Amino acid sequence: MFDRSVICLIRFFFVGAAWLVLPTLASAESPADQHVKVELISEQDAIVPHREIWLGIRFDLQDGWHTYWVNPGDSGEPPRIEWQLPEGFQAGAILWPYPERLSTPPFMDFGYEHQVLLIAAVQPSAALKEGVSQSFAARVHYLVCRDVCIPGQKQLELTLPVKRESRAVAGSDDQLFEVTRRRLPKPAPASWKIMAASVSDDFVLNLIIGKVAGVPQFFPLEEEQLENAAPQTATRIPGGYRLHLKKSSHLLKPLSRLKGVLVVGGGKAYALDVPVSQPSTDAHRQSMKN
Amino acid sequence: MKKLWCGLVVASLLIGAISAYAQKVGEPAPEFQATDSNGQTHRLSEYRGKFVVLEWHNNGCPYTRKHYESGNMQRLQKEWIARGVIWFTVISSAPGQQGYVTAQQENDYLKQMNGSPTAALLDPQGDVGRLYSAKTTPHMFIINPAGVLIYDGAIDSKATTDQADIATATNYVSQALGEAMAGKPVTTPTSRPYGCSVKYAH
Repeated sequence: MFDRSVICLIRFFFVGAAWLVLPTLASAESPADQHVKVELISEQDAIVPHREIWLGIRFDLQDGWHTYWVNPGDSGEPPRIEWQLPEGFQAGAILWPYPERLSTPPFMDFGYEHQVLLIAAVQPSAALKEGVSQSFAARVHYLVCRDVCIPGQKQLELTLPVKRESRAVAGSDDQLFEVTRRRLPKPAPASWKIMAASVSDDFVLNLIIGKVAGVPQFFPLEEEQLENAAPQTATRIPGGYRLHLKKSSHLLKPLSRLKGVLVVGGGKAYALDVPVSQPSTDAHRQSMKN
Repeated sequence: MKKLWCGLVVASLLIGAISAYAQKVGEPAPEFQATDSNGQTHRLSEYRGKFVVLEWHNNGCPYTRKHYESGNMQRLQKEWIARGVIWFTVISSAPGQQGYVTAQQENDYLKQMNGSPTAALLDPQGDVGRLYSAKTTPHMFIINPAGVLIYDGAIDSKATTDQADIATATNYVSQALGEAMAGKPVTTPTSRPYGCSVKYAH
């Protein structure tokens, strides 16, 4: 009986101690901090009533380390951002710059090395008036990996004044927003013709897009549709390219649409969302193979 | 002769490993043979007639730790083994890589964590891992009594390292086993396995 109460007390003490210590730990250095610096930044130096403001979460990664795109590929996890905004403010969706293929055979991940900025437009409250500063916060959950992975969590804060006019923030951060916008997938040009077909173990993308600067590369927006590590073979066809994408062995049902990002070299990327034609006749199959 | 035989064995393993569609839900699960942390050899075909779960494991991976430090994986092992399931924890980390363990280290770990799989299979060459295209830790597979693969994917629906997410996630392994045992089709036969990449030999 005595033993039990001692155990009880010890338990109580440890659990209690953990509660006291945890909040301090959360804001202190975490193991992931050695490999990535995460900051909340603004494009403008002030908020202007009725005008949207762009905020971003900047990741500065140590060489050799990476974090992940919205579809992380074979392993890993994309960063998650929970905004804590002043009342009446609303954040738009996070915009993801196109990623890189990060290969660790036999795997392929999609993500970012060195530096990435994830941006979102924030609409101020309609009731916002000049003069009072506003505080923004974001809780960011992220995973950084090299040969091993370390999860991290950060509570980030930023206070901005409310003024009649704003200017780009001093330093290089405003340029970083511009650089990031150039890396965002744009709508495909109206002149492009893109067709996707399911041909046995592959999806075949016919890209009638003229000549582009690099070899076209496709990043699937949704998980488990493609065998990520399979090489994407691109061949020239009249008016453009043909890309063979290997289907994921996890794909058990026909896919009706293929969504993703097409990177065409020269730092350009386009959002694709194309219907997938299913193999119905041999003639069709033949025409896609030729 | 011995050399030739070895060569053939290696070659057949390689063929198994590089074939991209070695494993597919709805098809017979690939046969394997592996040695556990107590030195006993297991073949998948010995367990025909039972459900078999394969759980890819790396004790240093934050996603594996989520499910062990919360006791979730151990609970699943106990619950399903009590219902006749064979549960193999498979460790495919190569020597020198995160998660690699000797037989003794694995037995110590299981004791410390109250882990109770049917057996922990040591696969430092990555042969079983590559045969199943095991991508992450954890990565879960379920094989039915007829030897057919009926689940290939994540442990549950919340791809995070946060233990608090376990309670609100759908556990795909329990769901699939429950449905299959009741003679129902499996609602979610594949999902994206989430976690750290399996640390195969380079």
